[in-house]
Amino acid sequence: MSGEASVDRERGRTEPAGRQVRPRKPPPQPFTILGLAGLVAFTLVTAWDWALGIGFDPLALPGELADSNPAMVEGLFNVTDADWRAQYVELLRTHFTDPDSPWPLSLDSRIGGGLVETVQIAVLATIVGAALSLPLAVLNARLGAPDRVTHAVVKALNNVNRAIPDVIWAALFVVLVGVGALPGILALTMFTIGVVVKLTSDVVDGIDRGPIEAARAAGASHAAAMRTALVPQILPAYASFSLYAFELNLRGAAVLGFVGAGGIGQAMSYYWSQLDFEAVSVIVFVYLVLVIVVEQVSISIRRRLG
Amino acid sequence: MIEFEGAEVRYPGGVRALQGVDLRIDDGELIVVVGLSGAGKSTLIRAINGLVPLTSGRVTVGERTLPGLDRRALRELRAQVGMIFQSFNLVSRSTVLNNVLMGRLHHVPLWRSLSGLYRAQDRELAMEALELVEIVEKAYVRAGNLSGGQQQRVGIARALAQQPSVLLADEPVASLDPPTSHVVMRYLQQINRELGITTLINLHFLDLARAYADRVIGLRDGRLVYDGPAAQADEAVFEEIYGRSLTADDVLEGQGGL
Repeated sequence: MSGEASVDRERGRTEPAGRQVRPRKPPPQPFTILGLAGLVAFTLVTAWDWALGIGFDPLALPGELADSNPAMVEGLFNVTDADWRAQYVELLRTHFTDPDSPWPLSLDSRIGGGLVETVQIAVLATIVGAALSLPLAVLNARLGAPDRVTHAVVKALNNVNRAIPDVIWAALFVVLVGVGALPGILALTMFTIGVVVKLTSDVVDGIDRGPIEAARAAGASHAAAMRTALVPQILPAYASFSLYAFELNLRGAAVLGFVGAGGIGQAMSYYWSQLDFEAVSVIVFVYLVLVIVVEQVSISIRRRLG
Repeated sequence: MIEFEGAEVRYPGGVRALQGVDLRIDDGELIVVVGLSGAGKSTLIRAINGLVPLTSGRVTVGERTLPGLDRRALRELRAQVGMIFQSFNLVSRSTVLNNVLMGRLHHVPLWRSLSGLYRAQDRELAMEALELVEIVEKAYVRAGNLSGGQQQRVGIARALAQQPSVLLADEPVASLDPPTSHVVMRYLQQINRELGITTLINLHFLDLARAYADRVIGLRDGRLVYDGPAAQADEAVFEEIYGRSLTADDVLEGQGGL
């Protein structure tokens, strides 16, 4: 009882005996006020048109849009035009079916093969990365690590891992293992580990600790207790995050080709350098369809897991 | 045999959960520990398997004495002491059988527990434990799909799968309705009688304590205030242990109206 009374005194409230007093809403923390003020100041300073600013003027935006290249605007906004649509569909149809097209979409072609390789990279990286992530996610949580040192080391390594963008990982692995799909797989494996370990280990803190106490009470070793009492509890979240990482990998795999790490990006980079933007447009379109289809499948599986 | 000598537990923050407890428990006894919540019942029970370390004094279980055991010896001690919990502490997403197999973890090589490929003999022991509490037909059902009473029976089976010489039960019926409470208490009594396992049960219902215990131990503010045969533990004794007059909340049969 004396403990409760002293807590009240610290908050500067007096409570008459026998009556309940609703606490006043606490004033916002100085940190919150400073933080909000800082955000506003930063936005103004960077947006203003001066030495350190980027000179972003929202009022000029409609004018700038109107000044755009008319041909591109026409290309972008003519989706409603039946002729334009027919023309684009014809373009796709020709290159899917015509073996003499300059950039055919068959599986052994630059674009078709690139698409297949992109999916292969994403699938393999997700499988390898997710498999490595489950034990690492357990070690990355306070509750799951056998001791503080292991926890600190795993957490620090994964923080470094997540700080490195996947394109940089890809460039690094291209240097280490050469051009091709392998550096792409390795880069996205690192990315998968970063995402899945972080998200899954956050779930560990919220689990029911009772079964772990029961396993300890039965004389189980730490590893056995984690495997039997903790892992079953985080498995649904882990599976869901792994599929989410797969969706991210599929998109991430597109840009890896620009640094030589295989996949559709390599084809895109090639046609870009040839200034063949029609081919780039076809790649973007086909890839968009692929990503949407695969994501919908992945999302429906994830919903079933939840 | 379990023996407490001057056992003290002081939690960080200064709460003294056990103060100078001297207690000797012979093999095969069925003891009910009573006291209000916060009296130190859970601490007393958890001191026996080292889940709560003593801050001074000693507790001897068989030939091992706490404190002073290394990690390996502590796990050996725990393997020999089964435990049952108020909230069952089952992995609700795992099957009943896998929960019971957790009782075998100390005896199973790590690669087997990590892969889930348990030996036939361990699965057999788990099945026998489930048969003892008559719930073997649920072996492949998810534990979370069982009723409270069924879950507690699985909890008992998990403890039995350890083939323990001591069984600790921390408020095993506090989450159950009165008829189910009696079912669980009868299983505990039967296990004590037929398997000769020394059993300590924390309870706060005096009628249950009197009905099932051989010996009653009373705790108040971390001190041992009563130790005697259950037959002699009448209402006056309980009022002494609780430090107040009894109410309907103190007997299980008084809970019927809930």
